[in-house]
Amino acid sequence: MAAEGESTLNGQAGRRTEATRSGVEDVGRRAMAYLWVALLLAILSFLVIYPVLTLLLGALTDTNPVVDGFSLRHLSITNFLTVLANPNVAEALANTLIACGGGTLIAVVIGLAFSWIVVRTNTPLKGLIAAASILPLFAPPLVAGVAWSILGSPKTGLINTMFKWAHLDWHVDFYSLWGLVFVFGIYYAPYVYMFTSSALRNMDPSLEEAAEISGASAFATLFSVTFPLIMPAIVSGMLLSFIVMLGIYGIPAVLGAPTNLAVLTTYIFKLTNWSPPLYNTAAAVAIILMMVTGALVFLQQKVLSGRSYTTVAGKAFRPRNLDLGPWRWFTFALGLVYLVVVVILPSLALIVAAFRKFMFIRDAASLFDMRQYSLMHFYSIFDNPLTLNSIYNAVEVGIITAVVGGALAFAIGYTIHRTRLAGRRGIDLISTVPVAIPGLVIGVAYLWAWIGIPGGLYGTIWILALAFIARFMPDTVKALSTSFLQIHRELEEAAWVCGKGMLGTIATIVLPLARPGVVASMTLLFVLSIRELGSSLFLYTSNTMVMSVLLLDYYEGGNLGKTAAFSLVQTVLLGVLIGGANWLARGAAQGSVAQRIR
Amino acid sequence: MKSSIVARIVAIAALGLALNALPARAQQEFGSPELIAAAKAEGKLVYYTANFAEVEQEVIKEFNKRFPEIKVEMVRAPGGQLITRVRTEAAAGKLIADIVDHSDRALMLPLADLFQDYAPPNASDYNPDSLVSPKLWPRATVVWSIAYNTELVTNPPKSWKDLTKPEYDHMTGQVFAQSGGTTWTRIMFERQVLGEDYWAKQAATHPILYPSGAPMSDSLVRGEVAMGPLIYNAVYPKQKEGAPIKIIFPPEGVPVNPYASGIPKTAAHPNAARLFLNWCMSKEGQTFMIKELGNLTSLKVAPVYPEGFDPKVVKVWYPNFDEYVKLHAAWVADWDKIFGYRQ
Repeated sequence: MAAEGESTLNGQAGRRTEATRSGVEDVGRRAMAYLWVALLLAILSFLVIYPVLTLLLGALTDTNPVVDGFSLRHLSITNFLTVLANPNVAEALANTLIACGGGTLIAVVIGLAFSWIVVRTNTPLKGLIAAASILPLFAPPLVAGVAWSILGSPKTGLINTMFKWAHLDWHVDFYSLWGLVFVFGIYYAPYVYMFTSSALRNMDPSLEEAAEISGASAFATLFSVTFPLIMPAIVSGMLLSFIVMLGIYGIPAVLGAPTNLAVLTTYIFKLTNWSPPLYNTAAAVAIILMMVTGALVFLQQKVLSGRSYTTVAGKAFRPRNLDLGPWRWFTFALGLVYLVVVVILPSLALIVAAFRKFMFIRDAASLFDMRQYSLMHFYSIFDNPLTLNSIYNAVEVGIITAVVGGALAFAIGYTIHRTRLAGRRGIDLISTVPVAIPGLVIGVAYLWAWIGIPGGLYGTIWILALAFIARFMPDTVKALSTSFLQIHRELEEAAWVCGKGMLGTIATIVLPLARPGVVASMTLLFVLSIRELGSSLFLYTSNTMVMSVLLLDYYEGGNLGKTAAFSLVQTVLLGVLIGGANWLARGAAQGSVAQRIR
Repeated sequence: MKSSIVARIVAIAALGLALNALPARAQQEFGSPELIAAAKAEGKLVYYTANFAEVEQEVIKEFNKRFPEIKVEMVRAPGGQLITRVRTEAAAGKLIADIVDHSDRALMLPLADLFQDYAPPNASDYNPDSLVSPKLWPRATVVWSIAYNTELVTNPPKSWKDLTKPEYDHMTGQVFAQSGGTTWTRIMFERQVLGEDYWAKQAATHPILYPSGAPMSDSLVRGEVAMGPLIYNAVYPKQKEGAPIKIIFPPEGVPVNPYASGIPKTAAHPNAARLFLNWCMSKEGQTFMIKELGNLTSLKVAPVYPEGFDPKVVKVWYPNFDEYVKLHAAWVADWDKIFGYRQ
């Protein structure tokens, strides 16, 4: 990820600064540096390497490492070859690539368009559009899947019911690959948006002005200056959304199941859910997923290496808004359409399902028959003591994950992008690995790896938090990286010259400048961990049940009404918590989530 | 004011009577006074189940009406995942469960060594065929039925054979074979009792395949499918709430799947676990599960039958356990091929 050009350019200045320090201090610093790298590597070994090795062992043997002991006796690649030879795996892989590829394309178009509209234009009610752009992040994939199955089922979908009511001869079918592409695209646009909007905001507009003065049209400027400059953010957002889609279970589970349309995650889930479960085969399928992701990460490195993307330098600049004239109403309308499709329609679907006694809807008239509605599903979920427990646990895990994971990601990100310590490449690589492994599979590996640790980690909320920190480390480190890449080294050097130490520089220069990125990453981490399902399923115990597990329980228990009601509760709760964090951050400093998002 | 005092005195007196009466009855039915006292001292138990959380929540609630002092903490996971969890925890010496309750007896049998000796007070009232090990008891016994959406089906099926009628093309759904012990019991019944060609006839109606009975019953209510074989306890609660569905027990027979439940040797709350299982296995517990949840029972003499179940007409069908274990892999593979279910 680190830009080669940047480090050589600034290397000389760095060396000169370092030369002014005394030799004794130098030795001490070097020892500290080794200790620091060793510490990070030790943490990463525990969080990443150890579980991944147990997973590999699982994929290459037919044993459960905990039950049968860690042994290499049964080592063979039979499992792996069987999986490779299975035509259904190939089909699932093809479906996965089409769904995620198409979804990413839509996500990039939407995310980039909205970040430009929000940050760079004078479109009316930008705040509303900004809020709409990130709202889908709050919806757990299972909820999104359920909402779109209520809307888009070919037989009973509300959209089809409304078409019939309006005497339109139209028909939608979301139980298809294209339905999957569409839902993936609109739900994962926020990832692209989050990356690109902060990059756009931090970019010095003088570069664009220069292009315009040279006679380039606004459109040409956009494609020749603006987008190329924020390329790391676009590529990171694209890559992350693709990878996240690769690992999503809820949406394809709901939309794909009725037509037996499998993607790799639903295939893996099937394997772990069958009786008897085929974990070792699941682990082997997971390795295919890991290889796809590994190839993508490699590609990203290739694309981004050898260039400099520093756009935040020691000069002040004023963000500038482009006057769109009457076209601003067009961009506004785009925002509204997105809001309706992504927020209003699915919310209405969930509200109907949550308040309706039974989801059999014969026609439009029955949809508006108020006698069919009641609070019965809400009474029933709050009558269940697990509901409140799960909310409390989820919030607790979310906060621990956000704080500890955020701090760790900052330490890792800083080490990778801001130092020249030996071993930082290794740290970069290891911290990227978890991205490639779907939660369902790594969940088992975490269980295998950590259950035996003395001190009783298993059965506590901490094992969940550790799993989330490990699983989402790549997301957080990558989200922070763009912030680090944008801060010019000259700012840090200024602090060193003024006699600040390493920690002092971080505290006074890097942290304040990267603050929007840090807060946004922690928020992201919080949201991701509240929504996380795959690993939680294996790691929760009787008193550490979390919301996402209970939600799956309601869904698998076949109660759409309760699922929808609990989804609404969860969505409102996330909204309130994030709104609150936002508000607190705004009060504390300029760089807040609100600003980053708006 | 006065009347409220009187009411209070009456209430207290009634409560006192109830409290006095309770242990006496509980003593015979659910365990010795020592066991009950020890269970109350433990105060809680951890319950692992493969059944649906919502259903089990009702069981726990009912149990707590009798024994409010004992808190039941539940972990629910689908069958395959539950077995992995139990095996892994046990191997690491961290099995938290005080009770493991599973729908697939074939998966539980190899783990029998993990469990301690246990038998309910009314052990002799149970059908011995329903047990695969003297340590594992049929806490729940579930039964198959045919359910249909009354809004969508004008000419409903009356038998298993009817389900294969060409007129029901693209209207049926079913749970796939690989999903677990309960469904395996059904497809075994279909092939052994309804004929070698039954699967093929059924597959010709292009059923939508579901991973378990619960989402299928929800789809039935919504109208995504119009009919299909379903576990009675997955649809009965919905029918009770007024959903537009009807359930029948077909005359050719109904496959029945007894669960396997036991108490691990490592249980930290063995007395509370015994008391809970004793209650579940008692006539009172079984009656509750039959009447409110739509289960059947493995008691030799059923205290009551679910709605619409006439024991004179309906024949229950228990799988032969040896065949249940031996035939599984090959037959499920056949089923997958016939239904085009991709592995």
